[in-house]
Amino acid sequence: MSTLDAHAGHHEEGSYLSGPPGIMAKVWQWATTVDHKKIGVMYLFAVLFMFFVGGMAALLVRYELIDPMREVLVQTVDANGDIIETTATQGENLKDLFEGLGMHEDLTGTQIYNRAFTLHGAVMVFMFIVPSIPASLGNFFLPVMLGAKDVAFPRLNLLSWYIYLFGSTFGILSILMGGVDTGWTFYTPYSTTTDADHWRVVLMVTAAFILGFSSILTGLNFVVTVHKLRAPGMGWFDMPLFIWAVYATSIIQVLATPVIGITLLLLIFERIMNIGIFDPAMGGDPVLYQHFFWFYSHPVVYVMILPAMGIISELLAVHARKHIFGYRAIAFSSLGIAGVSFLVWGHHIFTAMGELAAVLFSGLTFLVAIPTAIKVFNWIATLYKGSIVLNTPMCYGLMFLFTFSIGGLTGLPLATLATDLHLHDSYFVVAHFHYVMMGGTVIAFLGGIHHWWPKMFGKMYNEPGALIGMALVFIGFNVTFFTQFFLGTQGMPRRYANYVDEFQTLHQISTYGSWILGLGMFVHLAVFIHSLVAGEKAPANPWGGLTLEWECESPPIEHNFHHEPIVKHGPYDFETTVPPHWDPKDYPIHPDAGKATH
Amino acid sequence: MSTMTDTNPTDVPQSILKSPKHWRNRIAGHHWRTGDEEFDAAKLGMWLFLTTEVLLFAGIFCGYAVFRMMYPEAWANGSHYLDWRFGAANTAVLLLSSWTAANAVRCAQLDKQFWLRVNIIITIACAALFIFIKLKFEYMVKLGEGKAPGTFFSYPYAQDPHEPLWWSLYYIGTGIHAAHVIIGAALFGVVLYYAKRYQAYGPTQYTLVENAALYWHLVDLVWIFLFPLLYLIH
Amino acid sequence: MMMPTLATAQPGALEKLIFGPKLPASEPAAMADGLFMMITWFSVFFFVVLMGLMFYFMIKYRRREGVPTEPSPHHNTLLEIFWTVVPSSSLLVMFVLGFQGYTQQIVSPSDAMELRIEGNKWNWLATYPNGASSPEFQPLSRKVIESADGMSSSTIKGRDYPIFYLPENTSVKFRMNSQDVIHSFWIPEFRVKRDVIPNRYTTYGIKTPRLTAADTYIHQETGEEMLGRDMWVFCAEYCGDEHSRMAATLRIVPQDYFNQLMEDWGVTGLPWEEGEKIYKQMCASCHLIDGGKLVGPPWNESSDANGQYGWGYPVSLESGGTAERDANYYRESILDPNAKIVKGYAPQMQSYQGQLDEDDINNIIAFIQTLSEVPPNPHLEGEGGESESEAGNQAEEAAGSES
Repeated sequence: MSTLDAHAGHHEEGSYLSGPPGIMAKVWQWATTVDHKKIGVMYLFAVLFMFFVGGMAALLVRYELIDPMREVLVQTVDANGDIIETTATQGENLKDLFEGLGMHEDLTGTQIYNRAFTLHGAVMVFMFIVPSIPASLGNFFLPVMLGAKDVAFPRLNLLSWYIYLFGSTFGILSILMGGVDTGWTFYTPYSTTTDADHWRVVLMVTAAFILGFSSILTGLNFVVTVHKLRAPGMGWFDMPLFIWAVYATSIIQVLATPVIGITLLLLIFERIMNIGIFDPAMGGDPVLYQHFFWFYSHPVVYVMILPAMGIISELLAVHARKHIFGYRAIAFSSLGIAGVSFLVWGHHIFTAMGELAAVLFSGLTFLVAIPTAIKVFNWIATLYKGSIVLNTPMCYGLMFLFTFSIGGLTGLPLATLATDLHLHDSYFVVAHFHYVMMGGTVIAFLGGIHHWWPKMFGKMYNEPGALIGMALVFIGFNVTFFTQFFLGTQGMPRRYANYVDEFQTLHQISTYGSWILGLGMFVHLAVFIHSLVAGEKAPANPWGGLTLEWECESPPIEHNFHHEPIVKHGPYDFETTVPPHWDPKDYPIHPDAGKATH
Repeated sequence: MSTMTDTNPTDVPQSILKSPKHWRNRIAGHHWRTGDEEFDAAKLGMWLFLTTEVLLFAGIFCGYAVFRMMYPEAWANGSHYLDWRFGAANTAVLLLSSWTAANAVRCAQLDKQFWLRVNIIITIACAALFIFIKLKFEYMVKLGEGKAPGTFFSYPYAQDPHEPLWWSLYYIGTGIHAAHVIIGAALFGVVLYYAKRYQAYGPTQYTLVENAALYWHLVDLVWIFLFPLLYLIH
Repeated sequence: MMMPTLATAQPGALEKLIFGPKLPASEPAAMADGLFMMITWFSVFFFVVLMGLMFYFMIKYRRREGVPTEPSPHHNTLLEIFWTVVPSSSLLVMFVLGFQGYTQQIVSPSDAMELRIEGNKWNWLATYPNGASSPEFQPLSRKVIESADGMSSSTIKGRDYPIFYLPENTSVKFRMNSQDVIHSFWIPEFRVKRDVIPNRYTTYGIKTPRLTAADTYIHQETGEEMLGRDMWVFCAEYCGDEHSRMAATLRIVPQDYFNQLMEDWGVTGLPWEEGEKIYKQMCASCHLIDGGKLVGPPWNESSDANGQYGWGYPVSLESGGTAERDANYYRESILDPNAKIVKGYAPQMQSYQGQLDEDDINNIIAFIQTLSEVPPNPHLEGEGGESESEAGNQAEEAAGSES
């Protein structure tokens, strides 16, 4: 402690947001900052922008799917059976839309559609959801919650950010040059042959490759930070569960991302030089690509969901003022999920692999369901005898339990071999992973942003406005994606621009849902902008949280804490502890508190 | 002299610790409590990074194993085309450089500034020699014969249709390894610059020397696997 | 809970909601549905319990100002063991049942009829044991509205998709591979799919159902209602531009009718009829014969901003210059498609070297000739393009001696 104070002297510092006067000086300060908070905020705006881009692509995809078939021929036949008139109508919504906007693309309707869903997938996965929570909220709050002044390697952190920007630039460039139609999975040999003579696919794959490095370096930084920079008095089991989740996430990032690195590198070589590794014509094996790809991309599913689970643990405990139930079970299940996640990649390719391997992967896949279920039970049990307030973060926390449970349970028929043969690559899968990715990660991310917004920017947001946005998101999300379960079981394949008439009603409902969902997101955007411009000043601890970030000011000072914090209570001792910055008068303690069994 | 790279050298004489060198003025980054913690953290970070490197090469080894199983003929032919003597020479070069890299760390710990620089220079020279042998006697010669990867393959006497695949894996495996050799040498170049210009490394501050050496040992280790797999096993 | 009787049982309202109006077509398919329903009920049970508790706690323990949180235990080992073990054992049951069902769905008896399935961008081609392939096609849907004065107008959706006939109550094994990228052969009513991969065969087996009197389809040519059952085949693995139109109809028919078809199809027709068959199987996804533009240029006599199309007309090339559309031009375009790219189009076509033999190419060229007014068109003084295929079908038996 004393060593730190010796060369600290941060007592008169201002908020991390207050910079030097002058726009250029501010820009330069932000561009060269090694402050994890500034980097976290820059990430936050970048990933939200990417979410906007990917979301727009999603709306385009849904718009095309209002009509089943593009080419409709009407023949009029007279009494003699002779054709007297033939009219062809085009149901190509996207093409019509683009032409209406004055863009005359030399592409057919399905080609535009295929580019739109690839854009949606690639942007959402590589540029939004993988970096979303760890790089923005993680960067901002991991050091603060540990009581540290910064992450272990601040300059490396800045490098990660620039690598992220660099990689995203490649992706955006590829989109501006006309986009790619490979699907975000880049399956060979389609990805190595489509769009011959063009660099777009290479650019997009390079983008994913570069973004991987950003992910590795961030993960590495966080692991070392958690090991080395915990505040005095904070043992491993005194860490907030958000930290546990980010820690498990980081381990996956460090171990899985290099494999996608080499895979995408091989794909780039294949594309530029025809090396033949994945090319069946030369004896290569296209299914090997799928194994390599999913060896990364399955664990990365948990990179997406684990930090979300961490956020939910925080949200439920703080807003129910209740000690989290089964702390160790939740912490260890994070690590358990991280471990098992490396063994289950095969369930993405059940229909392309041998029988024995399929059975093995099916069994292992069920294993991963167990720690996930344990977490959900623990969260529900946390609410028991709590003091629950239904503000926006809490509503998102509860919405997560609702949507994520559906997402998790619908994973069961996909892990079961006999039913997966039917459901694989159908809309059932689409609905399932949107319930997990969007209903899980994005919902938790939104909850987390609202929860920590006052801390990050020192402004409160408009609660009624945010609640309206939340309600629209809840309704829109479920209308959009619940219908897709039925589409899947009834036989609608994924990635179809055209479909048979019988699916039209469900598709239309789904599209209308996507509009409600989009509206909800715009309400949130408006609330955020309103808060930044005209929000009330936020108190240091608006919710009564006990983790260390609530001991800081809102927004935190440059080096987070005036004095190095010493941990005196657990992160969830709501029943026995008056939160920092709170008057004991406003926070009554139950007379029996502290007598409960631990 | 032991070449062990202890993290906490207790056998350093007090007289060295009092000499006026740049490394003595160095203080830990503001967010660290002590320099020792910072050093430990940097090493932990490096080990994690090495893990990612191992996994990167694991992809190539995995591809090697799969295709070896599918096309044993092509793989046997392939390794016959490689001259084990060049491989062995390069192995010797890399082993020597690993030894000098370890020496460099020890020299930093003992504040032997001159020998620190000598060891680093030998390491970089070995890297250059490795690349030279690889390019001059292997890549150039083989490419000249048409033993090129994938569709560029034009060697007229191939006995198995899958030999282009072998060459693809050969060039990718050794090529990515060679890229690591170059990156490692560049890293040592940076260390050399700081060591010469500022005498930046000494008994209490040798993080970068240590990490560069760790990285170099990994480069060496990967070659130790590549050499028998490509050159020796038929 | 998983009785084989499910196969014969009528689906309930919930099953209809979930799986749509179409019944599972085989016993393993019905068992897979049963397993799905079992998992669904399991999930619904857990979901209702969890959400019930959540909403109950939400209301019961809502925050009241000035009232402190009541303490309660922070963990309970017994409870935690209970909620770990109980769901785990249910998962084990699902795993085992799923594994059993899977083997039944994938494996076929050794005496099964083998149907070779070939996927290419973007067609399915089925070859029967006697070497024949189906010459019958139908659009996605055709709605006919008749008006009082004898006029009728029909709405046709989609291009012509091949119809694969299979006999009822027979074990069939699909042996599948792909000519280009990865596809996936999915018959939703059999609740099974498998990827179709280049350079290797994948297989699965089905047992076609017995037909009942209620199973009828409308024949695409005659409009007659016939005994049989139509079901869709989809490509389920994304394969590019026309992925969503890589479909086929699987038609289960009585054994006699199937035998008759096999006999009929063994016969080779006139060159342009054979060419038209190949066109529908392999070319129609990119080349239209009504002047419309898809990935590739149309084949019939027509013109647009980029120039004139059709047999016998000069072609403007993307690289500048022109070439004559003669037999050599078409042959080269089939075997080496990128040699001459028509103005306004991208080099998207793959070579058909090795897939089409000399006879096939001849037949395709003969078919292309029939689409143009430039000689030698065998139909020059005859009917228009539309009635041609009907004429071709009727002429099938007569054409036996040709080739």
